[in-house]
Amino acid sequence: MSSKKGFSRRGFLQGAGVGGVLGTGLLEREAEAAPAGAAIAGPGAVPITLTINGKPVNLTVEPRVTLIDALRDYVDLTGAKRVCDRGTCGACTVLMNGKSVYSCSVLAIDAQGKSIETIEGMTSPEKMHPVSQAFWENDAQQCGYCTSGFVVACKGFLDEHPNPTEEDVKHGLGGNLCRCGTYMGVRAAALQAAKQMKGGKNG
Amino acid sequence: MFERVEVFYRPASVREAVRLLAGGKGRARIVAGGTDLVVDGDPTARALIDITHSGLAYIRKQGGGCAIGAATTMAELEESRTILALGGGILARAAATCGSIQIRGVATVGGNLANGSPAADLVTPLLVLDAVVVVADAKGRRKLPIAEYLAARGTKGLRQSLLVEVTAPRPLGRRCGWSFQKLGRTALDISVVNVAAGLQVDGAGRIQWARVALGAVAPTAIRAGATEENLQGRTLDAEAIAQAAEGVMREVSPISDVRASAAYRREMCRVLTRRALEECAAQAGCAL
Repeated sequence: MSSKKGFSRRGFLQGAGVGGVLGTGLLEREAEAAPAGAAIAGPGAVPITLTINGKPVNLTVEPRVTLIDALRDYVDLTGAKRVCDRGTCGACTVLMNGKSVYSCSVLAIDAQGKSIETIEGMTSPEKMHPVSQAFWENDAQQCGYCTSGFVVACKGFLDEHPNPTEEDVKHGLGGNLCRCGTYMGVRAAALQAAKQMKGGKNG
Repeated sequence: MFERVEVFYRPASVREAVRLLAGGKGRARIVAGGTDLVVDGDPTARALIDITHSGLAYIRKQGGGCAIGAATTMAELEESRTILALGGGILARAAATCGSIQIRGVATVGGNLANGSPAADLVTPLLVLDAVVVVADAKGRRKLPIAEYLAARGTKGLRQSLLVEVTAPRPLGRRCGWSFQKLGRTALDISVVNVAAGLQVDGAGRIQWARVALGAVAPTAIRAGATEENLQGRTLDAEAIAQAAEGVMREVSPISDVRASAAYRREMCRVLTRRALEECAAQAGCAL
């Protein structure tokens, strides 16, 4: 009946007795209006499967839950930070199919079927990614709260731009903010990491 | 901020999306990249209709021009050969300035237009390109020139419709010039003012066709109609450009806000229009 996990067809929704779940009555009318082909998730929690750092993870979330909240509150991956929660600061950056996204602006349910990479899957104290190493060596952090988002955004950027100029780096990492003002260190780190990653050691 | 959202729909076609929208009784919202909706935090939204699986992510060549699906992302526009070749690539340039990498990977053409911000980066290039917006509702599809769409966007007639596609006609032939100029606090910031221009000159350097559009200086992005008329038939030289740049200042109605004062915006209209027309002149092969 369902084409993808977390989504069901109209028949399922009706069978589940929507009216009892909601007080507004609004969604009953919506469900009636829903064409037979449209995939529906909710109301209430739905089971979904996310591919996080290469592994499938099953969780049950309401449709309104954003990817950042799913990662932090349901999967216990707290590397991505929830700071502005409005798609501006970049502290929640993760890679989705290799591209940087603000995980506060993506619904968890919409991240199904995509490969999600977080800071935890990228680097660890024992085996540092060249980007993390370069951040450390260049003092590219002060309080550290923006750092995981910066490292992920930097890796995503360097994967697609292996030979950046400083101007490219400035533009490419412009979606991440640092209240401590460590931008000079961050840019130096990105340029150093670019050189090291070209050796292909850690990709 | 999706706290009050209860249901998430993922229609597989435009028809389904439109039916869901009509059935939503004003409480369903179209979502694609989600970058505006998250910031907006609309507390009346109870259902989201995700159109990223409705077959609307495409850039097609169409009769010499092109058709762009509403769910096409800024990143896709930036990199598309078709868009880079259209009107000197001004639409691709505008897309490249639209927020950070994280935003451009998910933010869509449809969202940029339907959100209705007077500062939306894609609107001024689309005005210059004589773009047409295709909207769909329960009754079917209709086409609206982009200026008409902007004017009618919030009205009852369009509230229950879905922006489906934007088309740009075949661009003009030889001796054309195009430009997109944006002033923001940083390279990735929202526009304080943006200007797009396009023109074509004849063999003697006289202007045969001119478009000047300005963003963030009126309730919607606008075309400077009087300035365009004054350029028509004139020789494209430094004097014509200076007069046009002065002229646009009389056609705009900027406000003062947190980003800039009205007076500063008006002055920047002159500066950006001059820069835009100078770039157009260089491309059209007119020595100034």
